[in-house]
Amino acid sequence: MSKIFSSSALKALTRIGDIIAPKNGEFPSFSEVGCLEHVDDVASYAPANDLKDLNMVLSILSIMPDFFLKWLVKTMNNSHAKDGGISDTFRMLDLGLKGIIFGTYYSGKIGKNFKGKSPMQVIGFSMTRIEKAD
Amino acid sequence: MYDFIIVGTGASGGTLARNLHESGAKVLVLEAGKLFRKNTFPKTEMDYSAQLFWGGGLEFDSKAKTAFLRSKCVGGTTIVNQCLMDRFDDNAFDEWKNRSGVDFMSLTSMSPYYDRAEAQLKLNTFEKKDLNTNAKLFTEACNELNYKWKFLRRGMCDCKVEEGNDCIACLGGCHRDSKQSTLVVSIQVAEKKGLEIKAEFEVDKIEHFVDHVIVYGEQGGVKQQLKTAKVILAGGSFGSTHIMLKSGFSKQLPALGKGFCQHPQFMFFGIFDTPVDAHKGNFQSVAGADPSFRAKGFKLENVFAQPISVAMLFNTYGREHQDIMKNYRNMSCIEAAVRDEPEGGELTINNKGKLIITKNLTDQDKRRRDAGLETIRSILHKQGAKRIVESPIFFGLHLMGGCSIGVDGKKSVVNPDFQVHGLKNIYIADTSIFPSAPGINPSLTTMTFSQKLSEELVK
Repeated sequence: MSKIFSSSALKALTRIGDIIAPKNGEFPSFSEVGCLEHVDDVASYAPANDLKDLNMVLSILSIMPDFFLKWLVKTMNNSHAKDGGISDTFRMLDLGLKGIIFGTYYSGKIGKNFKGKSPMQVIGFSMTRIEKAD
Repeated sequence: MYDFIIVGTGASGGTLARNLHESGAKVLVLEAGKLFRKNTFPKTEMDYSAQLFWGGGLEFDSKAKTAFLRSKCVGGTTIVNQCLMDRFDDNAFDEWKNRSGVDFMSLTSMSPYYDRAEAQLKLNTFEKKDLNTNAKLFTEACNELNYKWKFLRRGMCDCKVEEGNDCIACLGGCHRDSKQSTLVVSIQVAEKKGLEIKAEFEVDKIEHFVDHVIVYGEQGGVKQQLKTAKVILAGGSFGSTHIMLKSGFSKQLPALGKGFCQHPQFMFFGIFDTPVDAHKGNFQSVAGADPSFRAKGFKLENVFAQPISVAMLFNTYGREHQDIMKNYRNMSCIEAAVRDEPEGGELTINNKGKLIITKNLTDQDKRRRDAGLETIRSILHKQGAKRIVESPIFFGLHLMGGCSIGVDGKKSVVNPDFQVHGLKNIYIADTSIFPSAPGINPSLTTMTFSQKLSEELVK
């Protein structure tokens, strides 16, 4: 499914994705949309070393219980109000994970089995592009 | 051997490439990013964020406090910016003259070069008829608060907004060749006359000799060495400084990497009961122009972004985040950009040669930020927003400094002839030479410095 992330890393991304973007009214959950089918599109241009580190962190997170992942997401989110020490690492992880999760969730791309409204449709985003011939 | 190798194709490199090539010099242009055309630019925000920016769209300072948007494609940042074309004012040049000791830093001295740089561009100043609802909300609130505002001047032509084209699409590259990027006004023009370009060529370092320079780099996994009489670094603040640092020039140039500034930008959103559709039409057509804003060290612009970028700015998650995003169409938006002090920023490399960006807001930067944000709040309140959502995350689009210009080789990297001090065959005229943050969009002045350098090189 992904040439970049291991299956355990994808499992962690799915679980964290559902905490960050859960099912909520018209909004489908992150996993429901099938965003991860497009994860390589968003990640393949990131530096190889960063991806290697992220893969490793996600593989470890994949075996953590739900309460730990919920604590982690909250801590990462709150790290923006703090300075120095471990908060810098949490902030880096927060931006990296949200980059992948929001990057795919609000991309307009959906998984092949998803039939509902995409998050982009839920927020009503549309853009007109008038092309120009050569 | 080439007469000139130009590293980078943005506002500086593109301008130099066209001018030097048209003068008859043997020029090679190197660009780390890919060469896209109007019909090959990625079409979604996800794809262009990943493909057109360094770091796949995620580049941060060492503390992950600031996100940087640094373009990596032929045309550089002129591909992904709004192509706003402002001349600097005397305030900006006076500060630069004081900091650098460079005589030509004045609006009077630079005006002829501005004229000639502008002559290569199609420029349009927006009018009342061009405003979308977000801009109308901004201008009406400014009028009520007695804040001056202005129509922006943009490099553009034939955008077909009146037929429904949404300008926000061109943040991922203009699909009409309407935006006056250096891809359109310089590179493609010179290409038709035989300009040689190597895209997806990443320069590692340069080596300076008495009568030539060797450029070391890699293209498609193949290492290459190129010989040139002179090299012009035009990779911007990060790109040019990074190459200079990796080339080992730190010892002889103590100011190398110092003075990084970026106009830290903050976006606040007002939420309304009815659609604003800030992403439709001309999404950025006006800006604050009140003299008090400049005096207090910030500028206000009326902007917006596509959904992924907007989502990244809200420091929430889960249902709370979705409940804000559900109002995407009902949001107005204003951005404050701070005229930050160069003392708070530095560019270095680690032992693997990776660029490390240190950026701390000084006390003055924080005062300027707070003044700007307070002004945004007052405008959003006056607009009648039901709720104001403040983003704590700031980002940098105007990356400046690291190789500052000046007469003193101990305090600067580049001399008034745009030559690196003590390395006569290396030139730099991009945003890395800025001695401080001007508080004005830098694109046109970067083109103008490069216009000046190209005229001097062909004399």
